[in-house]
Amino acid sequence: MIFLAMRYLLERRKQTIFTLLGVFLGTVAYVGVSGFFKGFQDYMVQQLVDNTAQIHIQARQDILNDHKLDGAFFTQNTAHVFWISPPSGLLGFHEVQNPQSWYERLSADKRVEAFSPLISTPVLITLAKNSVSATLTGCNPLQQSKVTSIAKYMIEGQFSDIAGGGNRIIMGDELMKRIGAAKDQIVFVSVGTRNAIPMKVVGRFISGNRGADLQAYAALNDVQRLNGTPNRVNEIAVRLKDYTLASAMAENWSLVSPEKIESWDQQNVNILSVIKMQTTLRFTMIIAILLVAGFGIYNVLNMTVTQKRQDIAILRSMGYDSFDIVTLFFSQGMIVGLVGAIFGLICGYLLCLYLQTISFFPANSSHAGETLHISLDMTIYLQATLLALLASSVASILPARAAEKLTPIEIIRTGA
Amino acid sequence: MSIEAKKIGKTVGDPAVRILTDISLNIDDGDFVSLTGKSGSGKSTLLYILSSLDSPSDGQVFIEQLDLHKMDPVDLYKFRNQKMGFVFQFNYLIAELTALENVLMPTLKIYKKNEINPYAESLLEKFGLKDRVHRFPRQLSGGEQQRVAIARALVMQPKYLFADEPTGSLDSVNGGVVMEILRNVNREQRTTIILVTHDQDFASYANKNIRLVDGKIE
Ligand SMILES: Nc1ncnc2c1ncn2[C@@H]1O[C@H](COP(=O)(O)OP(=O)(O)OP(=O)(O)O)[C@@H](O)[C@H]1O
Ligand SMILES: [Mg+2]
Repeated sequence: MIFLAMRYLLERRKQTIFTLLGVFLGTVAYVGVSGFFKGFQDYMVQQLVDNTAQIHIQARQDILNDHKLDGAFFTQNTAHVFWISPPSGLLGFHEVQNPQSWYERLSADKRVEAFSPLISTPVLITLAKNSVSATLTGCNPLQQSKVTSIAKYMIEGQFSDIAGGGNRIIMGDELMKRIGAAKDQIVFVSVGTRNAIPMKVVGRFISGNRGADLQAYAALNDVQRLNGTPNRVNEIAVRLKDYTLASAMAENWSLVSPEKIESWDQQNVNILSVIKMQTTLRFTMIIAILLVAGFGIYNVLNMTVTQKRQDIAILRSMGYDSFDIVTLFFSQGMIVGLVGAIFGLICGYLLCLYLQTISFFPANSSHAGETLHISLDMTIYLQATLLALLASSVASILPARAAEKLTPIEIIRTGA
Repeated sequence: MSIEAKKIGKTVGDPAVRILTDISLNIDDGDFVSLTGKSGSGKSTLLYILSSLDSPSDGQVFIEQLDLHKMDPVDLYKFRNQKMGFVFQFNYLIAELTALENVLMPTLKIYKKNEINPYAESLLEKFGLKDRVHRFPRQLSGGEQQRVAIARALVMQPKYLFADEPTGSLDSVNGGVVMEILRNVNREQRTTIILVTHDQDFASYANKNIRLVDGKIE
């Protein structure tokens, strides 16, 4: 029967090519679009995961509300506490409590690749008459560059140049521009109402993210001194060996510590929800394409069944049973589906390889020369194959069943 | 007695129209039976019932002592494939296959492709189609097409050959050729032939004649 199915397909080239084209284009579109979106998403996630820490352990500060303090004043189960003037402000700490125990825990945890204690503080940076407010982060550059990709973004100086203190500062490109500073200049940095301290600019970085490029880095102990909080940290940034564990681990740690612990995906819900939307969109599109491809197969097969009524009748009289007839038509759809899918996979792959060579960043950005990120993930190809075969089998089975139900006697009696 | 019909009746449609009434007959191995009668007398219907393509409303058909219409489908299809050959007024050749491939179609059910080639080719050769074996049906004349169809019906060397006006769409010369073929098959292979025809001349090739009038045996 497969032999006859093949002959049908080969002898009726126009129809075969038409249906083949449906599956082919569907598969190419699936591979191309999925490669594009997934590549983009993987890239985005990679950027998020690489550039920032995957778990942030931060000092917890809750906003006070009317009842936060109830327990402090009344030990019994009081039903209602009324304030004439309700309390406001933040309750909590500015610093991570007992960071030492965190260091021990993090060092012992095999899932943790690296961690970096940080102290961030808003500062005013002054050069001549320009004052710009910015966030200054104190870190140990060796630890920090293991946790984020900051070191890779340096375009002047080395990130490790701030190691060991000595009031050296590294600024983002955007911040440099706003202040009008250049490398090796001295800027004045002040926290709150304290006296400004002179710091030497030893490096500049561009991350491509404007917000991040408005930040500055210095050695941990320099910033602690500047802030008047020696030995204190207000954040510990953690990098994991497997970033997908982040949210589960963050949740676990939250249970046993007073700190606010967030994973990268919690901090980036916006971007992740965009990705989710893209995925939904992608699937909707793919389903539409598959419907079209499946409909093509369905239509052509139905037509074939009608045109081949006489063949069905004579095959029945020769002793071919209903299973043979189903096979005859089902296999036509499946052959078309399989061949279309195979060609689609190949061309989709080539398309992805081509897309990978296209550059999309402007020539003056830090990503200049970087090309489109296209995913060549095996699962895309597997999904494409499965979907193509699923669509063709669903599309083929109905006409095949219709063919099976034709009784030869009706056809032969009337001669058609 | 290889084919035995017992009180076959057939009604069709709603309200029911009776097209065959109380038909009983016996056909022996090697018989060449002609079924004649006016158009609409029920010849084709009877042939299809005797050959399992159609089922009777009443009565039974026994082939080799088996109740034909109560056979397990698997056995029935096997029986059809190996013991029955069909020729119809129209040739029903598969357009996508060459003459030889058309002839080979019934064999693919049990044999591998090419296994029966020599026999199929010898059949076509015997029917004067030696240089036509690789042609497609559209490249053959009507008479040639019908001879291919007969070769296809005979390629499994069936015990029974059912023919429904096989000469119906042919001119008298080609019709004569087809009838000669049938007669030879009946004589040489002792194939039982049941032939529906309304041509009295062709009916005379048969050794037994059944004549239907309004769905009854005359
Ligand atoms: N399925 C059916 N529905 C309605 N009428 C039918 C059906 N099958 C057969 N008939 C009628 O039964 C009668 C006998 O039909 P049948 O085909 O057996 O005749 P026939 O003797 O072979 O005629 P012809 O020589 O023209 O081929 C005809 O009147 C036909 O219209
Ligand atoms: Mg008839």
